[in-house]
Amino acid sequence: MKLSENAILEVVDLHKGFGNNPVLNGIDFEVYTGDVISIIGASGSGKSTLLRCINQLEMPGSGEIIYRGENMLARGVNINEYRSRVGMVFQSFNLFNNMTVLENCMVGQMKVLGRSKSEAHERALEYLSKVGMSAFIKAKPKQISGGQKQRVAIARALAMDPDILLFDEPTSALDPETVGEVLLVMQTLAEEGMTMLVVTHEMAFAQDISSQVFFMHEGKIHERGTAADLFGNPEKAETRDFLSRFRSGRQIAG
Amino acid sequence: MDKFSKLIFDIGKLWESYGNSYLRGISSTLILALVATAIGCLIGFVCGVLNTIPISQNDHPVKRFFLRLVRVVIRIYVEIFRGTPMVLQAVFLYYGLPYITDNALRFSSIWLASIIIVSINTGAYMAESVRGGILSVDPGQTEGAKAVGMSHFQTMTAVILPQALRNKKPQIGNNFIINVKDTSVMFIIGFPDFFAAHRAAAGATFLYFPSATIEMVGYFTLTLAASALLRFLEKKMDGDSSYELVAADPLVMAAGTYSRPERSEK
Repeated sequence: MKLSENAILEVVDLHKGFGNNPVLNGIDFEVYTGDVISIIGASGSGKSTLLRCINQLEMPGSGEIIYRGENMLARGVNINEYRSRVGMVFQSFNLFNNMTVLENCMVGQMKVLGRSKSEAHERALEYLSKVGMSAFIKAKPKQISGGQKQRVAIARALAMDPDILLFDEPTSALDPETVGEVLLVMQTLAEEGMTMLVVTHEMAFAQDISSQVFFMHEGKIHERGTAADLFGNPEKAETRDFLSRFRSGRQIAG
Repeated sequence: MDKFSKLIFDIGKLWESYGNSYLRGISSTLILALVATAIGCLIGFVCGVLNTIPISQNDHPVKRFFLRLVRVVIRIYVEIFRGTPMVLQAVFLYYGLPYITDNALRFSSIWLASIIIVSINTGAYMAESVRGGILSVDPGQTEGAKAVGMSHFQTMTAVILPQALRNKKPQIGNNFIINVKDTSVMFIIGFPDFFAAHRAAAGATFLYFPSATIEMVGYFTLTLAASALLRFLEKKMDGDSSYELVAADPLVMAAGTYSRPERSEK
């Protein structure tokens, strides 16, 4: 894969194993501005690990993660600055329990980006109202529902003005009734041109918002294509198999 | 009954001549325990933070070596000061310093020496319990902080330590109470605390039991008051448990209402 001028992020031959268990077996892809890439696949196929390797919550075994032309796995790279450019939304929200909703969205801006308190406050309010949480700014994370937590987590990530947002199964830990509100926020972001990488089990959602879909199988991107191609006309047997299992509702999510 | 009125009488006699010295002892004990607990907690928190700096394969080898060294040094510190009696540590340091340096260095003040010894002793206990406190905070909190780009230090001070501290509050109170009692061993290097007052008074009057009674009542009152105060502070710091209910959430919807945009069904 050649180094492209305008790719924000390039993943080159990424490998990762836990002990003797290979999880990622050579992943290659590029992300351009405005891409919305959904990553689907069975549990254990390496989707979450891939996402966590991208912002180095897991250290990849080998390969390159090139962000704006610079390999982020090289020694001496300021990993904290890189992480502030690549937002992450977790399955389990990971809101800071010792802070209010508002403080959750301010602390990173002030500590990492060095913004003033008033600017951080203003931006936090802007993004919290974008996700419909401006009425809850004084609440603590334990006082709000799962879907609300996830929307705050999205606002927290957005407040950092990231180049890319990574979503790691953002609705998998939610009650069915709160899934919709989170998907709606994500859909709005996608329509506004946010660059997103989404690991998800919500197939209908992936089909609707994605510019590209990756099907992961045994630690590789087994098949990739537009949402229409991959869902409508999958080439590989494993992809068809996975999708049909999913459609018949026998897939065990998680 | 006879014995009891004799005891009361003796205590009265003691208090008449030594009351002030007991009271001064109490205030010294309290100040030493407070200061040493505070410094000890600080040491504990610093050790806890240093101990949990992640070591990554991507770090420079010198940095990795240094981080490992820090962990080993802290380990040794904790094991030594947790594993030997404080009374011996006091003697060891107080007399050891001038011995080794041929009197070039010595503790100029008994207060300074006592504060240092009790502090590093408390620090050794706190280091372990702070480490436990840090580990007890959900790892997701650290990941959340890392994901917005916070450094280890920022993660610790803004997110992890406030939560660890909340879990450690009873432990800190516990340490303070232990220190109120255990500073009594500092009489060995001549620290004028509450227990030292007993030694002076009893040594001069031979009224060992009445003086010990004063001490027992005194120490117990101190620790009882301290634990009541700590409970009160704990409640205060937990803050208000009620909050305003907000009904206006524009995005809340019923189950399965993710609305697909218009598109042609095939």
